[in-house]
Amino acid sequence: MVRCASLGLLRLVAIMLLAGLMGATLLRIAPGFGSDEQQFNASLSSQSLQALRQARLTDSDVPSYYGRYLVSLLRGDLGVSHSLNQPVRDLLRDRLPATLRGLAVALSAAWLLGLLLAAGAQLFRSPLFRFLANGMSGVFLSTPAAVLALLFVVLRFSPFLAAALLVFPKIYRYTFNLLQESYELPHVLMARAKGAGTWRVLLWHVLPAALPQLLALAGVSISMTLGVILPIEVICDVPGIGQLAWQAAQSRDLPLLVNLTLVVTLLTVCATMLSDQARRSFTRSTV
Amino acid sequence: MKWLRRISFGILLTVAAACMAAGYLAPAGYEHQFRDLPAAGPSAQHPMGTDDVGRDRLARLLYGIRVSLLLAPLAAALATVMAALVGGVAGYAGGWIERCMLLIVDLFLSIPWIFLLVTVRAALPLNISPQASVTVTFALLGMLGWAASARVICAGTRDLMKSDFVWMARASGFSGFKLLRLHVLPNLRDTLLAQFWISVPVFIITEANLGALGLGVAEPLPSLGSLLGELQQLVTLRPEPLRFVPLFVLIVIVSCFQILLEKRQVNV
Repeated sequence: MVRCASLGLLRLVAIMLLAGLMGATLLRIAPGFGSDEQQFNASLSSQSLQALRQARLTDSDVPSYYGRYLVSLLRGDLGVSHSLNQPVRDLLRDRLPATLRGLAVALSAAWLLGLLLAAGAQLFRSPLFRFLANGMSGVFLSTPAAVLALLFVVLRFSPFLAAALLVFPKIYRYTFNLLQESYELPHVLMARAKGAGTWRVLLWHVLPAALPQLLALAGVSISMTLGVILPIEVICDVPGIGQLAWQAAQSRDLPLLVNLTLVVTLLTVCATMLSDQARRSFTRSTV
Repeated sequence: MKWLRRISFGILLTVAAACMAAGYLAPAGYEHQFRDLPAAGPSAQHPMGTDDVGRDRLARLLYGIRVSLLLAPLAAALATVMAALVGGVAGYAGGWIERCMLLIVDLFLSIPWIFLLVTVRAALPLNISPQASVTVTFALLGMLGWAASARVICAGTRDLMKSDFVWMARASGFSGFKLLRLHVLPNLRDTLLAQFWISVPVFIITEANLGALGLGVAEPLPSLGSLLGELQQLVTLRPEPLRFVPLFVLIVIVSCFQILLEKRQVNV
């Protein structure tokens, strides 16, 4: 147990360190790195421009930048954002709650809708219901997040409902297939043959069989939702970390981007590990 | 639902044929400006009207679909090759090599790749040429979107390595690249093809997301994503139904892909 937990922790740390390094490297090798819109500001003196160029040069060597960053991170210092001139820690503290709130709303709504439709399609066995559910999920699966966000701005709906609508098709389709497989398991067929009621079959026999994989999907769905939230926050002007990442990327703000990459990685890896652990515990308790 | 798949295939074929014949169907090139007709409504000469700078909307739509339909499969091919390399080597080698490679895969899966994509794409200079922007955008899609496929291919290779015919081949003296080329890769063909086709609609949608955010293909070259950028004016300008046509076409194309791939996805 302790060995398993320490291995998991080690993996988390390794992935986070690599993710930060990858984010920094990708940004560094992008052709636009080093250019700053401020350099075109005619009101700046030559000394200011020189200072700006110098500040950019100190970040251009990724390994040494990343080494310095990790040392400061150990001291609890996340650095200062170049573009917003604020400590990154303050920015994250201000912006993270909005994203987490949105993530919770979007995930809850997506799971509710996905599970209800998948269970409904299996319970009613109506071709029309299935056709409509598949059609609805197909349309949202084919709609870019940014466009749906734009429509939600025009219609003045909650932006995170747009995120829910974009994530639910994946949950619906996966859950539908899982439930279908579970309905074909021998013990479920036996229960149905013995006359167990529809709800009893679903709640007592089908869902427990599908639960381990649904728990795994729960972990993955957090990463999916975070991916969808980024364009939604940008379009709908939600002050979360998605919008912050956008601003940081546009101003090539390396310290901010590295920290954001670490935060996003921490969220997704922790969610995946927790869901894996829950799945393992559930499987162990039922075997 | 065979009929639905047939209809989807027919629609995709028609759309592909129409965009390949864009030079004949469209009244002008995608960049040609009719300066006396900016933001014109539908007419005999311009069936879908013109955009704000007087370019024919039908021409831009047809050329835009052509760009997306040609380059998304190329990006998917790049992603599949990368997934095959990483997943294939990991599954073939096993042991610590597999663990290290899966750690890299996990790393890519841990970060929502749209996050990385937006980060890198936004860092590109604003004066990048249209050809460079289209190449960079789709190359980035291919280079960042391979991780999920690599996991599937790794699992497939691992299973194959335990199969009887591979044991037999090993016993007959096959090893290394020869074993991989003659026995493993041919049997992974279906999985690789499935991963390739699954990636195509995903990349079309992702490019559309980038385009809608203004980070897709640079003007004047159109793509489905860059055409969606016009929708941003919805909030400030009058809503015109014709601005929604690219969105409708995108939904139809991606839905057709989804319908055609449904069975394949379930199998994978």
